[in-house]
Order: sequence, then structure tokens, then C-alpha cells
Amino acid sequence: MIADLVISLVFIGYAISVLMGFGTILTWVERKQAAVMSDRIGANRAYIRIPFTKVKLVWWGLFHGMADGLKMLLKEDFKPRTYDWYAYAVAPWVVFTPVLLVFAVIPFGGTLTPAALWAPLGEWFGDKSYPMQIATLDAGLLIVFAFSGLTIIGAMLAGWSSSNKFSLLGALRAGSQMISYELVLGLTVLGLILIYGTVDLDSMVRKQSGTVLGVLPAWGIVYQPFAAILFLTAAIAENKRIPFDLPEAESELIAGYFTEYSAMKMGLFMFAEFIEIAVIGALFTTLFLGGYNLPFMSDAGFAFPGGAAVAMPHGAVVVTQLATFLAKVFVVCSFQILIRWTLPRFRYDQVLTFAWKFMLPLAIANLCVTAVAVWWIRA
Amino acid sequence: MIHDFLAHLETLLLWGFAGCAFVSASLMLVLRQPMRVAMALVSCMVFLGGVYGLLGVHFIAAFQVLIYVGAVMVFMVYAIMLLDPRDESATAKYSKLLWPGIIGFALLAEALAVGYWNDLPHAPRGALGEPFDIARFSTAFLTEYWLHFELTSVLLLAAVVAALAVIKENRRHERG
Repeated sequence: MIADLVISLVFIGYAISVLMGFGTILTWVERKQAAVMSDRIGANRAYIRIPFTKVKLVWWGLFHGMADGLKMLLKEDFKPRTYDWYAYAVAPWVVFTPVLLVFAVIPFGGTLTPAALWAPLGEWFGDKSYPMQIATLDAGLLIVFAFSGLTIIGAMLAGWSSSNKFSLLGALRAGSQMISYELVLGLTVLGLILIYGTVDLDSMVRKQSGTVLGVLPAWGIVYQPFAAILFLTAAIAENKRIPFDLPEAESELIAGYFTEYSAMKMGLFMFAEFIEIAVIGALFTTLFLGGYNLPFMSDAGFAFPGGAAVAMPHGAVVVTQLATFLAKVFVVCSFQILIRWTLPRFRYDQVLTFAWKFMLPLAIANLCVTAVAVWWIRA
Repeated sequence: MIHDFLAHLETLLLWGFAGCAFVSASLMLVLRQPMRVAMALVSCMVFLGGVYGLLGVHFIAAFQVLIYVGAVMVFMVYAIMLLDPRDESATAKYSKLLWPGIIGFALLAEALAVGYWNDLPHAPRGALGEPFDIARFSTAFLTEYWLHFELTSVLLLAAVVAALAVIKENRRHERG
């Protein structure tokens, strides 16, 4: 029983450090990628000087994240005279916590058998094996949507309690936009649920480990390429990033619903946004890109279509799966940042029209086609 | 020591969540300001979700949070935010009927406790057979309860149409 607790704590620690790590790295990636895309040098001002020497460590501007963090911790924590101080103080946490909780049901690796990793561990753990996921729940995908709905309340609470017209407008926009796009998000995933016949994310990933037509990996994006595009678009809108960043459009609303927040409270909003990029990356990887699966790889090693096979020890399999998952998540994150620096911002009415008159019908059409196809193939 | 703690951890968490749900439900009754009442209700729903999750019906927990918090409460918070009712009644004293109300509530609670608590069948723990998972839930939902569900949707549709009609009527008055 203590062994189970230790494993759970290790997984939780891993998940939190991955999310925090992504949150920090992505602030740098966003700057550096913008610089690369617009042919600038970019993000190279922050440095650490080794004391008593003239050696400056720049490291491609990686210290900018550290500088940001210090700035947010050391700045004055300005407290406006709000109508409801309690709601004002709680709102950043209501935005931040659910984003972390969503990761609890996402499988970030295959099965871990401690005894096969290192023989002395076997004495303690026995021959138990653990799926690499914090909470193995049969309602996985539903939990994801349940928690992501909570952030809407946080955003509205922040804007309302700030006693600022810009904040209130931002909160209004955030509320309407997130409600609209959450609907689309749910409908795009229904097609996948029809195909895999489950909402448990772990078994969904396991079903993506085979191949289609002998060559293609059986990933969600192969079955549902259209849903994948719709899902990513709706997810970016749900995260309120350019081109959908109307709730915090700085040319219209200063910073929207978190205008009145300063120092680390504002940092929580920003950090939540960057962690959500990683969470969207993890969800997209899990649903559409086969999760931790590499093509032709199973828990025993590689088995290529030609008949060639490479056996791998358990440790190598575990490390490969963890690394594959992180790499895929990073690619999806980078793609989101690519979109952020490519597209111009919508007008607000266009955002809502886009959701209800374009995305929603397309998602429903995709669902109908999938349902008919699944019915046809099974019958 | 730690084995004992781990063996009872689930019970402790269950009581913790139940207690928090009770406290937030009471706060919902006692607080005056609309937004705080809504927040108390939200936290009550979330803690109830935790209770369901600990009892092993994770999808009911998910639905609890998804539907009640993610849909119903979001719209309530939205409405409170838009209307922003900063009227004075939220800061005024409690009504004169406060004490009679509390005494009546206590009597009612006692009557309910005495009348019903002892007659409740004690659920045998862990004797439920196969777990009530989402597959069994879906089968029951689509075979036995689909009519109830459809009737509820028709009711909701009627409510939406009625709301639209009321708005249109008001607008016509404003113009004329």
C-alpha cells in the first residue's frame, strides 16, 4: 500500500514538474520563435554574470523566464479598492488550479513495472505494474471537460470583482467566447469516442498503438483528420490566444479581465495560459497523435511491418515512451505558437459567428459522417 | 501507523469532502451577496463531485461538475455579473423572522433525522457486485430512461422559447 502511495506521489511530482517546466520554457519559446519567424535575434538581453569575472552567460536568452519570475515576485502587489475583495483574491486560483488538475487523467507513458526496471525494487514492489497516469478513471475525457469548465468562472469572477469597466467587458467576452467554443470542443471529440468506444483516455491511447492498412499508425488524426483541425482551433479559442484573444485585446481593453491584477496574481493568469498551451498539447497528443506510442512500437520493443523486430529492455521502453510523449507535446505547443504569430486578431462578432455558424455546423457534420461510417463498417 | 492512516484515508477524505460540502451549502443559505452565494453553490457542487468520486462513480462526479458547475453555474455567474445587483438588502440586517426560522429549521431537521435516519437500509460496503461503470450507466440511460431525458429536453426547449417570447414582448413595448 505504501508502494502504491510512493508511485502516486512520484507520478504527481513528475506531472507538476512537467507542467511547470513547460510553462516556464514556453514563455521563452514564444519570444524566441517570434524572433526566428520575423528574422530578428530576439530574447538575448537577460544574462547571468559569473561573479568577479566579465563572463556573461546569455544562453540564447533562456534567463528571460527567470527575470520574468523575479519581476512578478518583487513588484508591488497593488490592491485596488474593489467591490468584492474576496472574489478578487480567489479568481486567479480558480483559473490556475483546474488547468493543473486536467493533467491528472492524461496518460504520459505506458505501463511501469518497477521490478523489471531494477531488481532490488522488486523486493519492495513485488511484481505489480502501474499505468503511467495519475488517476486511471473510466470517465477520463469527461473529467477533462468538467475541469476546463471551471476556468470560465474564474475569468468572469476576475473581471467582475475588479470594479473596472474594461475588466467587466473582458469578462463578458471571455465568458461568451469560452462557453461557445467549449461546445465545439466537446462535439469534435464525440467522433473519436464513437470510433474507440470509450472515454477512458488510457484505453484510447492503447487503441492507437496498432497500424491501419499495415503502414499508417492507428492514430486519431488518421481516422479523424477534420476533427483534429477543429479541435485544435477550438482549443486555441478556449485558451483565449491570438487570433481569439479578444477578452484581453490590449488595443481595446488594456488587458481585459485581468487589467487590475499586478505582480504574482497577474503572473498566475499568464502562467495558467502558458500551462494551458501545454495541456492542450498533451490532450491533442493523447486524442489524435497516439499519446506515448511511437509507430510500430509496443511494450516489448519495435516490430516493423517488414517482419524485422527489435526487442528492448523495460527501462528503455519506459524512457522512450516518456520522451515520445514530451516531444509530441512540445511540437503541438510550438505549432500553437506558430499560429499565434501568424494570424491577425478577429473582430469580436466574428469570433462568435465563427463559433456558432462555422465551427459548430462543421463539427456536427463531422459527427454525422463518422456515425454513419462507424455504423456502416460495423454492420 | 502509516498503514492505519492509509487504510482509513478514503474514509477521512470522504468525511472531509462531505463536511466541506455541508459548510458551503450552509454558507449558500447564510450569505447575502449574490456572487458569494453563487460561489458557495459552486464549491458545494465541486465537493459533492469529490464525494461521488470517492464512492467510485467517477462519471457521476464528472457530470456533477460538468453540468452543474460548467453549464448551470456559469450562466448564473454570467447573469449576476451582467445585472450586478448592488442593492442595499445585501448589507441590511437579517429579517426579524431569523430566530423563528432557525428554530423551525432545527425542529424540521430533528424530525427528519428521527423519522428517517434509523429506517435507512445500511448499504453493505463492497457488496455491490460489479462496479457501476460508464458502460452500464449508458446502457441503462439509453434503454430505461431515454423517455425521461427526452421529456426534460422538450421542457427545456419550451423554457427557451418562452424566454425569447418574453424578451420580444418587452422590446415591442419599449419601441411602442
